[in-house]
Amino acid sequence: MIWEVFRQERPGEYHAHCGNVHAPDRELARQFAAIQHGRRKPTNSLWVVPRDEIGEIDAEDVAFGGTTDKSYRWATTYSTAGADASEVAESEDDQADAEQRRGES
Amino acid sequence: MAGSFEASDGLSSRERRALETLLTRLGDDEFVLAERYTEWQVRAPSLESDLALANNAQDELGHARLWYDVLADVGLDERALAYERDPADFRHGTLVELPFETGDWADAVLRSYLYDVAEDLRLEALTASSHPKIADRVGKIRSEEKYHREHARSWLERLAEDDDGRGRLQDALDRLFPHALTLFEPAVPPRLGAKASENDVAKAAAVDADVVDLGLRTATLEELRSEWLSIVVPFLESLDLAVAVDRDAENPEADLDALLPDARGRDGAHTEAWFDLHDELTRTYRELGRTETTTIMEAPDG
Amino acid sequence: MNLETVRARAGPRAFSPADDLPEEYREAATRMIEFHANSEIMGAYLERPFIRQAPSIDRKLAYSAKVQDEIGHGQLLYRAAESLGVKSREEMLEDLANGDGKFLNCFHYPMESWVETPMIAFFVDGAAMRRQATLRRTSWEPYAHAMDKVCFEEGFHVKHGEDILRELMTGSRKERRLTQEAFETWWPRIIQFFGPTDDRSTHHDFAVSVGLKQRSNDELRNAFLDQYIPKARNYGLEIPDEPRIREREDGTYEVEEGDLDWDEFFTVAKNEYEPGREQIRGRRTAQEAVQWVREAIERDGAAGSHAPRAAD
Repeated sequence: MIWEVFRQERPGEYHAHCGNVHAPDRELARQFAAIQHGRRKPTNSLWVVPRDEIGEIDAEDVAFGGTTDKSYRWATTYSTAGADASEVAESEDDQADAEQRRGES
Repeated sequence: MAGSFEASDGLSSRERRALETLLTRLGDDEFVLAERYTEWQVRAPSLESDLALANNAQDELGHARLWYDVLADVGLDERALAYERDPADFRHGTLVELPFETGDWADAVLRSYLYDVAEDLRLEALTASSHPKIADRVGKIRSEEKYHREHARSWLERLAEDDDGRGRLQDALDRLFPHALTLFEPAVPPRLGAKASENDVAKAAAVDADVVDLGLRTATLEELRSEWLSIVVPFLESLDLAVAVDRDAENPEADLDALLPDARGRDGAHTEAWFDLHDELTRTYRELGRTETTTIMEAPDG
Repeated sequence: MNLETVRARAGPRAFSPADDLPEEYREAATRMIEFHANSEIMGAYLERPFIRQAPSIDRKLAYSAKVQDEIGHGQLLYRAAESLGVKSREEMLEDLANGDGKFLNCFHYPMESWVETPMIAFFVDGAAMRRQATLRRTSWEPYAHAMDKVCFEEGFHVKHGEDILRELMTGSRKERRLTQEAFETWWPRIIQFFGPTDDRSTHHDFAVSVGLKQRSNDELRNAFLDQYIPKARNYGLEIPDEPRIREREDGTYEVEEGDLDWDEFFTVAKNEYEPGREQIRGRRTAQEAVQWVREAIERDGAAGSHAPRAAD
């Protein structure tokens, strides 16, 4: 049985996929993962998940974010006057970045 | 005899009438269905399904925007088409204008399925349209519609597994099926602000024949309806739902025609619900005395 | 972990579902996040008629997308609250429907006209974003993660709300007049968004001591005024005389709190304000009408599908 492993490096951070292990049950999967994926890189927590329980939908299945113009969803579409609040500006920058990366993929 | 729609200024009156009739039926279907879908926002069965249906509403509205925009070439803008047009001049089928009864999620997913299969077929028949903009825009629209169809199918399969759910689907089907057939009815040419002519209902079939003859759409409405039936009837029957058509009947076409509702939308006759809906959706525009519509996005290219 | 340890360790994103946390922490965090989640839903419920009433297709799209995002935020937040193990999402939504769930004061007031939309979509969302930005450093990790996504998306809402305000305030004389009137009606409520001064706020001290809250109500309210008074003036809105607002020497602002109607605020906060009750009832009707769907799905799930059960 294959278990997918997600690592969180430090408290508060996100768990990100880092690999997998073969193991017959959850207990051994946890123990194997601790060694295989936690022994060198900084690790605060690992999640182990049975691979069979993972559903996947990919860009072949669905046009993520649509194919027609959805620019109404993005802060960058709206031009407003005067200095924006810092958190609004930060959101807009993050959205600009995401939009650009969407465009590149 | 395919028309030439490369340049919009040299259109004959026949070409222009065919183009306007085709695009209003396409755009109006999407526009009004989207409007109805948004009724589920903040009212869907779960937060996740709320998000998904809102997505589909926005997609359909985006498609309406693309279809309406093709008519910009003949001098019709969003203001004229969506906000200042006489509601009786809209050409959507009545399937999309019916209000959702509170909580009738069976209607929402079934209507979506019936519509989305029909839409996929008609988009296919537009991929080789003689109008370059229509042909160009089909691809973008179709890739969004795939999700709509699969989403509707998943819900139907899910609900049909449950006795209560299947019963509600059957009720919705009995009510919606005749209205779904209006999707394949020829549309009376819209007046679009022109002086009221005799507005001859009999012209509808002839204009739709022009749509095909001019290569704007490459399948007839009869062909589309028959393909649609060959998909939706077996699927619905596989869910143990009874469809009100007997495809082995002696004269299935006549049987289907007999099922059609009195008001078909395409013929300019609408249910009362449409006029209420139109009144509400134009309310701000009228009350603020607006004379133009705000655009946020750039005009579609291509 | 006992409360002393929690206080000692409290810091940004310090605690996760893997930690054994005391009841006091889990209940306080649940109350706070549930309130936040409920507010997303009730805000969306208040705004939903304006998807239909938007005066153009693009505005309609943006409004639909905005309401959709708010429901998405509700989804994230209920999950962050649920992961504390005190209440399930179903229970929280049930409480919201039956009038026990509490939510932001602004979403208890009826909204009748398009000219009111920027009062929520610009000012209230702007205020919310001020607060949410600070909550990215809350001590409950799932809440902080929810805030990451909320803050990412919310910039669109505020900018769109501001764009509607700009359009109205550069529109016809009638539009400008109606918008100013709406602003005068909404302004005190918007200032009350941040609640009363900290010493009158029941839960404040505890929430700060365990790192759930990062900034005080006063600090946030002042930070809001500093940013949004200039914005309002910039678009030609006149700030009402009441509540009195003092401009300090450094150009920042402070509100005369006694000028605000706190009796009304607390009536609203207790879900006892009639228009707000109307909103709650309306949403309850909608939620009950689709109860059959949730039941149908659950019956199927029990009938042999191998869908994994959610485990908390």
